[in-house]
Amino acid sequence: MAGFLIKRLLQAIFVVIAITLVVSFAIRLTGDPALMMFQGGGSMTEEDLARIRVALGTDQPFIVQYLNFLKGMVTLDFGKSFTGGTPVSLLIGNALPATLLLAFISMAVSIVLSIPLGIKAATAKGKAADQAIRIFSLVGLSFPNFWLATMLVLLFAITLGWLPPSGMSGAESYVMPAITMGIILTATNVRLVRSSMLETLQSQYVMVARAKGLSETKVLYKHALRNCAIPLITYFGLQFGGLLGGIVVIERVFNWPGMGSLAFDAVAGRDYPVLQAVITVLSLMIVGINLLVDIAYGLVDPRIRTE
Amino acid sequence: MHSVTRGLAASFLALALSGTAFYAGPAAAAGKMTISTPQDPGSWDPIDTFLVQWAAVATNIFDGLTYRGPDLKIVPGLAESWEELDGGKRIRFKLRQNVKFHDGEPFNAAAVKFTFERLLGEQGAKGPQRSNYTAIDSVEVIDDYTVDMKLKAPDPVLLTKLAGYGAMIVPPKYITEKGEDNFNTNPVGTGPFKFVSYQPKVKIKLEANADYWGGAPKLSELEYRFISEPATAVAELQAGRVDLVIPPTIPIGMIPVIAGDSKLDVVSVPGPTVDALRFNTRDGLTADPKVRKAIIMAVDRATIVKSILAGQATEIVSFQGALSFGYDKDLKGLPYDPAGAKKLLAEAGVKPGATLQIDIRGNDATMNEVAQVIASYLQMVGLTATIKPYETNVLLNDIIPQGKTGAMFQQKWGGWTFDFDNTAYAMYHSGEKWNPYDKDETLDKLLESQRPLTDRAEREKILKDVAKYAADRALELPLYNSKSIYGISKRVKGFVAPPDNRLKLTDVTVE
Repeated sequence: MAGFLIKRLLQAIFVVIAITLVVSFAIRLTGDPALMMFQGGGSMTEEDLARIRVALGTDQPFIVQYLNFLKGMVTLDFGKSFTGGTPVSLLIGNALPATLLLAFISMAVSIVLSIPLGIKAATAKGKAADQAIRIFSLVGLSFPNFWLATMLVLLFAITLGWLPPSGMSGAESYVMPAITMGIILTATNVRLVRSSMLETLQSQYVMVARAKGLSETKVLYKHALRNCAIPLITYFGLQFGGLLGGIVVIERVFNWPGMGSLAFDAVAGRDYPVLQAVITVLSLMIVGINLLVDIAYGLVDPRIRTE
Repeated sequence: MHSVTRGLAASFLALALSGTAFYAGPAAAAGKMTISTPQDPGSWDPIDTFLVQWAAVATNIFDGLTYRGPDLKIVPGLAESWEELDGGKRIRFKLRQNVKFHDGEPFNAAAVKFTFERLLGEQGAKGPQRSNYTAIDSVEVIDDYTVDMKLKAPDPVLLTKLAGYGAMIVPPKYITEKGEDNFNTNPVGTGPFKFVSYQPKVKIKLEANADYWGGAPKLSELEYRFISEPATAVAELQAGRVDLVIPPTIPIGMIPVIAGDSKLDVVSVPGPTVDALRFNTRDGLTADPKVRKAIIMAVDRATIVKSILAGQATEIVSFQGALSFGYDKDLKGLPYDPAGAKKLLAEAGVKPGATLQIDIRGNDATMNEVAQVIASYLQMVGLTATIKPYETNVLLNDIIPQGKTGAMFQQKWGGWTFDFDNTAYAMYHSGEKWNPYDKDETLDKLLESQRPLTDRAEREKILKDVAKYAADRALELPLYNSKSIYGISKRVKGFVAPPDNRLKLTDVTVE
């Protein structure tokens, strides 16, 4: 297990370095942050631009800038934002919990909805309940998430006035973003749970469990679900990683002060230090989640633990 | 596993219920106003930014020596009066007495000297604002309430520039003691509102400065929330959690939503921003002035403004709006004349079906529509236009300055000073970043000759000449001057929409 972990850790470091290198290099091809500061500012001289580049450190060769960034990563000093000089660590420190919390709650919503619905669809295969759930899932999959978000805002925030339309201000502000994300995830997850369950229900141990006279709930949730949990955990884990990246649209619509908004603004403003830090943190997390998924296999399935 | 599921279900249910339980509707503290602004400038230090979103907040925190309100007239600010000496190369300011910064520090001549030495010195060198004030040579303290500003050369726009941005007067003791980084996020000025708190990317809160020299503001609290998505900002306005949405947020297409809500109003005023499609005057088809003129004549701009911009803009004939210093109301642009355009194209030897490319900002929804219409107008005179949308910053930072555009490219411009020099110099003078193609000695001389002139009438005449000269050479297809669109709750009283987004909310109340 230890050897396996070390191998995965080295892989993770390689992946993070590769990603940040590509991102740092690519963003520098798309425009000069010094020039951007002068938008609407009338005429500036080359000398003005040179002064700003020195202040931002963008006058140095790319490799020097990148090595400084790596050094910063090790010493946990991500530098200052190009827009206004706010320490990047402060920005990340505010944004990361906001995104993580939203992602966790969205996942929770989705798991809570998709497991019972998926099981119901599997046991009622071909019957009305199955058809209804599959249609719900298809509709959910076809929704663009920003459209669903806008409709929810229109109904619950503007017409009914029950929920705040945007921002992160209290428990009530989580409801709409989490439900939007949750519903979209559920649409996919239901199908996964259903097919996984269908396969499991045909196995012999389920027949044995039923033959023993166990209650149907016990058969489904204790025996069958546990056995089909492996692909589900893998998928949910990977989905969580994808969620962190894909949450940008939801964060924009709900003006959520998370990593997605931060990354979006950083790209738009060519804020190299912020963008590099966001990408590093997100890729570290995705790599970390993959690692956790591997460990979770072992916990669920004793056969993997002893290998 | 199923106990875990049950736990999750329970916590989700609790969360869903708490949503209805805790949400008690919009907060209605007496005299509090909430404003939605599209961007967080990141620093509140006056020398750090050109963003209008900075000014929309900071105009309430800081004062300049002069002040320019929504009527765009220069009036006394922290200076009660001033006089020009030495033929415009020295300006003597008499300062307002008994004014205090929010931290209790007195405002005096030393603070003015400190402000400009900081702006023009090492600290200012790290930010963009310094470039606007390089005409200032030094500031001398004559007595506690008199300062002399010595200029390297007369700058006719200086008094306007002193009313905003980099010239805001800052507290010397506070900055020296607490440091520069602290000042970015904890600004202190002499303005009608005091800084309370700042949450990066979320909001900034201000409270009334009861001792304000111009009289205490009527509101007790101001809160600015940073909301970039137009639909979200409008939803907040409709839900009554925001009282004012400031430009540039609301797109023209969203105006009916606000207008249709009985609790809300749309206020729009002419703004500084002007759109034009500039020509590549160096290579290709558009190197020929006849072709450029033909293109201008082929496009019916009046119809574009009326139908696509729904009247939220005015037609222009030079690269400026009617509020700009240097605007010539008698300047006539080329008429809409497709037949004449065809004739000119034939004279220039352009074959029907010739192609050209129009580069625009991809995220500018209005321009995307306008460009389509222009392309179809050009089709009617035998030119096939393709539209190439770019990410805004790529277009601005790379494609235009490097001269990699198509035959035509969108430029959106307009400085808060409303002085044509700001646009004309950057667009037309040889060697400027935003002028990759054109070199014209006559134009260079005209532009240079007006810069040191303090005689307003003479300078205005030259700026009008610049506009006419550029129009005669057909350097761009002038399109329109957009209005600044504000969405406002009817609860707000006494709000006067400024054309330059520098809102000072001293006299505003919220019912």
